[in-house]
Amino acid sequence: MTEHTILFPQTKAQQFFWRMMGLRWPIIILSIIFLGFTGSFLPTMVKDTTSDAFINPEEPSLIYRHKVQEIFGLSDPIVVAVINESDTGIYNPDSLTLVQWLTDNIQRLDNIDPDRLISLATESNIVGTNDGMEVQDFFDMPPKSDSRIGWIKNAIDHFPLYQGSLVARDRSTTIIIAELIDEAKAPETYEAILKLIKSAPNTLEDEIHVAGEGAVSGYMATYIDNDTKTLNPLAGLIITIILFLAFFTPRATILPNLIVLATAVGTFGIMAGVGVSFYVITNGLIVCLIGIAVADSLHIFSQYYEEMTEHPDAGQKELVVRAMASMWRPVTLTTVTTMAGFLSLWPTNDMPPIQYFGLFGALGVFIAWAYSLTFLPALLSLLPKRGSRSFKHQQTFSKSAHMMQSLGQAVLANPKKILTAGAMVVLLGIIGTNRVIIEEMRIENFKSTEPLYKADKRINAKMDGTYYLDIMIETPELEDLYKAENLNRIDALQEYLETLPNIGGTTSIVDYIKQMHKAVNENNPDYYSIPDNDMLIAQLFLLYSASGEPTDFEEEIDGDRRLALVRANLNVGSFVQNRAVVLAVEAYLTDHFNTDQIKANVTGRVNVDYHWIKGIKDSHMASVLVAFLAVISMTALLFRSLWAGLFAAIPVGMSILLIYAVMGFGDIWLGVGTSMFASIAIGLGVDFAIHTIDRMKELLSEGTSSVESRLINLYPTTGRALFFNFAAIALGFSVLLTSDVPPLIKFGGLVAIAISTSFLASMTILPALVTLHCPDFLLGKNKQQKLKPVTVSVLTGVMLMGMVAFNSEKAQATDLLNGENIIKNVIARDEGEFVTRNLTLALTDRRGKLRTQETKSFRRYFGPENMREKRTVIFYTAPTNIRGTAFLTYDYPDVNIDDDQWLYMPALRKVRRISASDRGDYFLGTDLTYEEIKKESKVEFSDYHYRTLGTEDIDGFATLTVEGTPVDDKISKELGYSKVIWSVDPEIWLARKVEFWDRNGNHLKTITNQNIEKIDNIWTVQKIHVINHKTGHKSLLTFSNIDYKTAVKANMFEQHMLRRGIR
Amino acid sequence: MRRKATCASLLLTFLTSSVMALDFQTILTSQVAVGLNDGDLQKWDFTIKPEMTMDLSENLRLTAIGMARIEATDNLEPGRPDQFMRGALSKRGYIGDVAEIELREFYIDTSLDTPLGSAFLRLGKQQIVWGQADGLRVLDVVNPFNYREFILDEFEDRRIPLWSLNLEMPMGDVMTQFVWIPDQTYDQFPEPEAIFAIRSPRFIPPAPASGPVTLNEVNKPGDFIADSDVGLRLSAFMGGWDLTLNYLYHYQDRAVLFQTQYENGIAINPEYRRSHLIGGTFSNAFGSFTLRGEMGYSTDKYFLNQSSSNPNGIHKSGEFSYVLGLDYNGLQDSFISAQFFQSIITDFAQGIPRDKVDSQMTLLMDRAFMNDTLKVSFLLIQSLNDGDGVIELDMEYNLQDNITLSIGADIFYGNQIGLFGQFSQNDRLTFSIEIGF
Repeated sequence: MTEHTILFPQTKAQQFFWRMMGLRWPIIILSIIFLGFTGSFLPTMVKDTTSDAFINPEEPSLIYRHKVQEIFGLSDPIVVAVINESDTGIYNPDSLTLVQWLTDNIQRLDNIDPDRLISLATESNIVGTNDGMEVQDFFDMPPKSDSRIGWIKNAIDHFPLYQGSLVARDRSTTIIIAELIDEAKAPETYEAILKLIKSAPNTLEDEIHVAGEGAVSGYMATYIDNDTKTLNPLAGLIITIILFLAFFTPRATILPNLIVLATAVGTFGIMAGVGVSFYVITNGLIVCLIGIAVADSLHIFSQYYEEMTEHPDAGQKELVVRAMASMWRPVTLTTVTTMAGFLSLWPTNDMPPIQYFGLFGALGVFIAWAYSLTFLPALLSLLPKRGSRSFKHQQTFSKSAHMMQSLGQAVLANPKKILTAGAMVVLLGIIGTNRVIIEEMRIENFKSTEPLYKADKRINAKMDGTYYLDIMIETPELEDLYKAENLNRIDALQEYLETLPNIGGTTSIVDYIKQMHKAVNENNPDYYSIPDNDMLIAQLFLLYSASGEPTDFEEEIDGDRRLALVRANLNVGSFVQNRAVVLAVEAYLTDHFNTDQIKANVTGRVNVDYHWIKGIKDSHMASVLVAFLAVISMTALLFRSLWAGLFAAIPVGMSILLIYAVMGFGDIWLGVGTSMFASIAIGLGVDFAIHTIDRMKELLSEGTSSVESRLINLYPTTGRALFFNFAAIALGFSVLLTSDVPPLIKFGGLVAIAISTSFLASMTILPALVTLHCPDFLLGKNKQQKLKPVTVSVLTGVMLMGMVAFNSEKAQATDLLNGENIIKNVIARDEGEFVTRNLTLALTDRRGKLRTQETKSFRRYFGPENMREKRTVIFYTAPTNIRGTAFLTYDYPDVNIDDDQWLYMPALRKVRRISASDRGDYFLGTDLTYEEIKKESKVEFSDYHYRTLGTEDIDGFATLTVEGTPVDDKISKELGYSKVIWSVDPEIWLARKVEFWDRNGNHLKTITNQNIEKIDNIWTVQKIHVINHKTGHKSLLTFSNIDYKTAVKANMFEQHMLRRGIR
Repeated sequence: MRRKATCASLLLTFLTSSVMALDFQTILTSQVAVGLNDGDLQKWDFTIKPEMTMDLSENLRLTAIGMARIEATDNLEPGRPDQFMRGALSKRGYIGDVAEIELREFYIDTSLDTPLGSAFLRLGKQQIVWGQADGLRVLDVVNPFNYREFILDEFEDRRIPLWSLNLEMPMGDVMTQFVWIPDQTYDQFPEPEAIFAIRSPRFIPPAPASGPVTLNEVNKPGDFIADSDVGLRLSAFMGGWDLTLNYLYHYQDRAVLFQTQYENGIAINPEYRRSHLIGGTFSNAFGSFTLRGEMGYSTDKYFLNQSSSNPNGIHKSGEFSYVLGLDYNGLQDSFISAQFFQSIITDFAQGIPRDKVDSQMTLLMDRAFMNDTLKVSFLLIQSLNDGDGVIELDMEYNLQDNITLSIGADIFYGNQIGLFGQFSQNDRLTFSIEIGF
């Protein structure tokens, strides 16, 4: 041991790492065991490439679509097109034989529902005969003769329903629509269809294309897999080259790659172990982690070689310890900030793939950090001491150090010019930001040269479209859809739909009825219309059933003839374009379609996409804000200075603005993939600022020479390391540019630009600012930070920047019961002695922002029959900010005695007596008043005068409508209503719908009671939907775990129970 | 340097644990307060509160609430404040000057079947809150307070939970609560260099004209049994009225500053003293109004008294105090509440640096907008004797289910000797974010 090492270790950090050296073998062994353990889970990884994986399972439009799917089938299909551009089009023996061949073979595939496959070979023509009409299959055998082909052509030409949806209007194309039994098996089915097509007996003139939503999600998995196979090794290779160029030594090239391996295996192993699926975007995470994992070791190696130049006599172990002792801190700081960036995606998003991207990204960064601080030094210390060419002499700089030195000289000589240039970038950013648009097109996940992409464009150009917007029509009673009035309404809706952009055509039962009407009138085109006689319509169906299949209309109408589906074919899958369509359709339905006798709701893939994609902007803004706040505050905390936080925010803020500019001017959308860039860019970008600030602080607190002469030393040292750090991460992300998946290309490119900007701004703007005005915290005078009021506004400004920047956007009773008796029956309805249940409140505001609250509630009746006192208690269990809040009410039988109510507020830990006279106040942010919460679906009899209005059908149930007018002005004021109309189902004495009018006579709100079922022999409302027509706010109350049997203890309704909390 | 690493790793551990938690709830809060008079950063802290509940058996639930706080500035409790006023098991753990951890609450709940009915037992570190008044303390003295931010901090955070036994037993329509508190922890006042250090002569004896002031060690009770506090509360709901009767035999949470005059100086001998507190509360609702009241009589209270007839500088007297409050709920989404408070020194003496009758009033106005997503509140506390007071404004926005942003201002005004006026240079603007996991 040399004399030198006797004085070593000196600092606490050195002592720590020195002691760690003694444990290097256990560290290496434990590190390898951890990898083996986590790695063992990798084979259990499940892939989920469906687009539904991105949607919050609670999203109402998704739930509704599933419901519609249950009724009408209609999953995302795979569409196979046969295109023949010759003069005959597809009407030639070869093409039609091909269609028959494809139909037969596709039907035999495992995951294909043979009954739900549509093609020329399965569909039938409706023709008139002497005794009415006949349903004839287009194909009986593969048509060979010209006459048969001519018949088919003629039949299609006279059957508008099939034009554009089954055969292209120019006759060049026909499609086979195959629905999948299990959408999760789409990849295998898609592969099977492609394989089948290879052996298809097609002539040179027949092209076969495969597209459709089923194909898109089917191919996505394979496509991404192939992409990953080239992308990840390439990222590894580029990183390896950078490492080699930085140090010219094998160890500095190989060891960091081991850290990358450990990071990837550890992260994805844990991911598989905890059962999180591998989503489409998870591929991007691998590349991210490759770039990030290597950065820590880059800094450590840089320091290691620097130490070697400074301490030529020191042994290998000492050099490693010295390097670790001076690098652990900045490496830890950057790890924390990068993790913050990733983690900010978790609470601000409701798309599971993005949430997990954030969570596991943070985990990966953490693993990289842990391995860099333990495994790396342990391994390095085992190697013999050997220098790097790049760090040979202390006095002479390497080329890269020279380059950075020159940059430094230029910056420090021209601070004002640098700042002016910076200001220009910011200005450009602000302008660009306002041009960013939110858009998503799933087909754009594929390169334009992909067969699937071409097929999509080709088929959508030829046909009416393969993107579906469905409209579910509901009527109250059996066979209501045989009514001409309803059918005319549907017909008008279809006509309207066809005027909308991108809608190529529509189909519904009306098209069949018209065709049938024409058929029974000797195929006279004049009769291609809806008969004006309801009886005739019913007869048409009867006639059809004589020769047609009973399942023929199951995709258009239900067996009860109460529900129907109108399907609009759209030829683009663009969010922006389809948004306009969805909004227009919604407005049409409200203004021109919906009546008490018929209602329609929008559904289908296009509608679901519209609903979840519109949330991207909000979650993007929230994640940018949270990431920004997180990194600023962490930097401020770590440097113990607010100024440091703001300082570090400058390069990051500039990079984000520049990215918005690039997106705005480059027409890059903010979509699913790109919405994540900002948080990650913030987390990574701030690292440069931290390293720069840390070094500037060190340089400025030493010596007395001019600021410029002290700062110049920043460049060849930290500047150089940052340059390689930047090169590693930026090039790592740039690897994504070679991807075949366009969103990944954009994501990689944007992050690379952001990181380059952060790096450049850290190296130029920050030192330039310091030369002009050196903040105190850099001089080590940060004990008490003075903050001028102007700073407060700057701080608020920075906090709000992210937000502001993006703000550019039955019983047809003849003797109707009188109103009073109806309401008395409602009030007398059995509610059970007790009830225990969970209640979920989903509150949605006008802009679609959703809040969810969970509660558990109990109710019990006290006292003798006829004088029953009702006590209710509600405990909030989620979210955290209202958890513990509890509401207790005693509702007395004597109306002259005010109720007693108490509210427990956990923040005060006090039970507060609250006045009960304000029954009309809204209950804790919902659209129901205290009165309605307390009365459940009943009413206080003495509040209103009642009058029976008539009957109304609601969802197929006959109800009696009763109007209630408050008995006097005082009650009206208390309740906040001037009129209420209950639609009471006399079978169960429950209102299925309640309408309210405010004191000015305006329609205020509608309560719809849904999912009414008998539970424990008691009629129970399981879903209450409330819409406030004035505010646009909606509340959906869902009851679950309803239990009328288990006795609720009487002491549950005492004040101290509120304090004790739910058990 | 190591400290920072610890902070970072601590933060990191909490961040990761909170996102992976299943039975845990965690709230992360960060608040920035900027002085309006001097532009100083008064505070910037990050608080993580993990909360866990676990059912050990059907009738045994464990609740644990922890707290970790890191501060960017170290102005509220500079350095590592002395913890003499804390019981051995109620001390906070300091990590460097800027970070601290504390086991806030840790208790088990169980119910016991007794001939009288089902009794409830909560055993462990907990908060016991008495009284009907908001912000004004007559009976809410079971737990001591930490005055690090004077009265600006949330009530929940100001109160110091104590190791206690809390037994609630029904006796007919009356609920009896028995509390036994062996934890000898008392009020924590900020150190003299802290921003909210108490400076008013009401509470701090003036320095003598000449000679040094010696502050002797606090004479703190230490016997687990003999020095424990006991209390009893009877509560009932009768004829629409919520009524309670309260009795507490306790050490007052503020040390009495006995003074000894020497030839050339003063020695201060702080001592904790016992007192009996007897009182009661009532509340009822009348139409849109709720009437609340709370009163209490303390047998032995100790007041500074600088008159020459008082050699130890302390005057002992009984004190009667009460609060009357009226809440109004008549306006949609609004809550207005006014309170009137008086404290009367029953055996007043000349030289006490306050009036015999000290009166305060408070006015609270709350309004919620956008279905409770935006809440605005205004609170005024006004001393009617000294003319000083404080105004607290707050606006809270629920960005998402689990993210709340708020902005607020706290303005002190009035004479420097007043309870509130002493902080008239401490007006501040606050920004905070709360994220729940």
